Amino acid sequence: MPNPVYLDHAATTPVRDEVFEAMKPFYGPRFGNPSSTHRWGREARAALDEARERVGRCLGARPDEICFTSGGTEADNFAILGAWRALKAKGRHAIACTPIEHKAVLGAVHQAADEGAEERLLAMTKDGVVDRGSFDRLVDEQVAVCSMMWVNNEIGTVQPIPELAAKAKQRGAIFHTDAVQAFGKVQIDAQKQLFDLLTISGHKFGAPKGIGALFIRRGTELEPLLHGGTQDRGRRPGTENVAAAVGLARAAELTLAECEAHCARLQKLRDKLEAGIVEKVPDAVIHGRGAERAPHITNVSVPGTDSESLLMALDLRGIACSGGSACQSGSIDASHVLSAIGVRPDLASAAVRMSLGILTTDECIDRVIDVFPSLVAKARQLTTAQ
Amino acid sequence: MSGGVDSSVAAAILVEQGYDVIGATMKLFCHGTDVPDRPCCSLDSVNDARRVCEQLGIPHYVLNLESRFSHDVVDNFVEEYARGRTPIPCVRCNTFTKFRDFLKKADGVDAQWIATGHYARIVNGELHRGVDANKDQTYFLWGIDRAVLQRMLLPVGDLDKPRTRALAHAMGLEVIADKAESQEICFVPDGDYMRILESRLPADAPALQPGPIMISNGAVIGEHGGFARYTVGQRRGVPGGFPQPMYVIAIRPETRTVVIGTRDELLGSGLIAREINWLAKRPPLGTQISVRVRHRASLARAEIVRIDGDELEIALDEPVSSITPGQSVVLYDGERVLGGGFIESARPRRTALPVLAA
Repeated sequence: MPNPVYLDHAATTPVRDEVFEAMKPFYGPRFGNPSSTHRWGREARAALDEARERVGRCLGARPDEICFTSGGTEADNFAILGAWRALKAKGRHAIACTPIEHKAVLGAVHQAADEGAEERLLAMTKDGVVDRGSFDRLVDEQVAVCSMMWVNNEIGTVQPIPELAAKAKQRGAIFHTDAVQAFGKVQIDAQKQLFDLLTISGHKFGAPKGIGALFIRRGTELEPLLHGGTQDRGRRPGTENVAAAVGLARAAELTLAECEAHCARLQKLRDKLEAGIVEKVPDAVIHGRGAERAPHITNVSVPGTDSESLLMALDLRGIACSGGSACQSGSIDASHVLSAIGVRPDLASAAVRMSLGILTTDECIDRVIDVFPSLVAKARQLTTAQ
Repeated sequence: MSGGVDSSVAAAILVEQGYDVIGATMKLFCHGTDVPDRPCCSLDSVNDARRVCEQLGIPHYVLNLESRFSHDVVDNFVEEYARGRTPIPCVRCNTFTKFRDFLKKADGVDAQWIATGHYARIVNGELHRGVDANKDQTYFLWGIDRAVLQRMLLPVGDLDKPRTRALAHAMGLEVIADKAESQEICFVPDGDYMRILESRLPADAPALQPGPIMISNGAVIGEHGGFARYTVGQRRGVPGGFPQPMYVIAIRPETRTVVIGTRDELLGSGLIAREINWLAKRPPLGTQISVRVRHRASLARAEIVRIDGDELEIALDEPVSSITPGQSVVLYDGERVLGGGFIESARPRRTALPVLAA
């Protein structure tokens, strides 16, 4: 079989060698607990403090505004539930978000709704961008927390976060953005942009799984999710994952240093991929194509096919892509994102997401342009034969 | 792969024989509360199937056939009870879900064969009973498209169950080797099928309303709480106080009547079946065959007396108990499955044999 092709960087990325190297000492001689007051503790603490500063610099934030978490899901939950629980006593009872958020946000919002919040889902344009009129109507003085993902993980569309954050702030809401897919793809600067809370996740850009961070702007009240020790000012009790925090810092720095060249490269490859597919499958639908999109994600539906079968056939030919959101069992359900932007059910259940990244080369794209249309043709043949 | 011992061993045997095997588990229904973000499936089974595939070094996929299964199998299950019949969903699942919809998924990845853990055998392109008489599953397989037989592999059909378990141990499949047998209908895991009927039928459906319990001379002797709770041959829920044990002998949905009678009255001398499907060359009228009218019932000698399109009439050499509308009749020539159909009605024992009409 030809070399396997990994086109699922939005799911996760390999840990970069530089990152792994940077982490190693903390699995070896520098194993200390950063809360300990002896030499081992101090050594670990120094690394953790430094990691916090470095991640902060990558986001335009102060070190005390960085809270390390176990990843994106925890950071999203902390942001939404933490802010909602802290604010609900103050008369703001609503939470606003888009219907195309990651399940980590939607699930946290549902939980808040169970605790009495009013859930407000904004309308989307068919290209997958927040409808401004809907935003203006729904994000009012009742809203405690407003959460909008910066780059959508399934279709790659970019929301105008600086503008939305500014508007939400004018109305007194706490503004959170899930920037898990955005970091390294769009300009993030907490000094110039007005978001209060921002989520990043390490394994999307070369750090290991199990580490992420929540930017918490000074003065933003959050009720902790966990209770116990006083780590991270009591915001996030539990012995810190020093090695992973160091890895996150290193990966974030590398990502930003290479951002421009990397994005330009991915954009070129993505454009080639889309052009190649559309040339051979003219009725293929590329979702969100009319909107501003991050350069690493394309999501394509071919009428008369279904994701489940295509993904299986691609995988058996060594090409890894993904569909909508995977259920616990691993079966694939139609994407809530595509439904929310008004994609027809038959097209939504045919969606295949391809996400490019560090492992993607010209050869990978050539191979997909070769294999994907042939699988599509076969799938359609079987459909018409029915 | 259901995560059970039979399909796991089937996969393992094929891997050992050098086939290029792809493991697949069908996701057919959802249990639990309907939280949109957290669909819960029969997660443990899927996990077991995946663990087995990991161990065998083959890929594993979960295929979502929920909506078609719901349409072809669960809806029919409910409709049949609503009509006073006793459905057999495993037959329809094999016919429509496993050996049709699932087969299409196999086509999509150019898989030449489809293998399952059924206790049945393919011999010279025909379906034969499994070697283990206690486990034989041909009763559930009669409805599949005959052409599909050419693509079926049934690796455990040559084994008996203890041997299958022993093989599972020998091949190191400890995850599933001692797993309990599943006897229930998969989408009614607690055996309470009324819950499904009540959730899918309108509250005023006749099948759920009270109606008369009658003896065969027409005398009403009591009331029941909905004929869907009854099946032919059932004793539970039947009033006592008779000199002999009484059984349900018929359900008449038009009048919501459940008819009860003695063991004798439960006997039938023949039956009419519909939706006949042939898995071998259609035998001529008068052919002596053996039939099975219920899973685990003994084989009975019989003769085909009428074939009319997809309808078939059979005369039994000796009367058979509990011939139930909605269940299957499967026709055998020795070990070989000739075909089968859904029982439409039983012919009461005392009726004289009709003159052959055809």
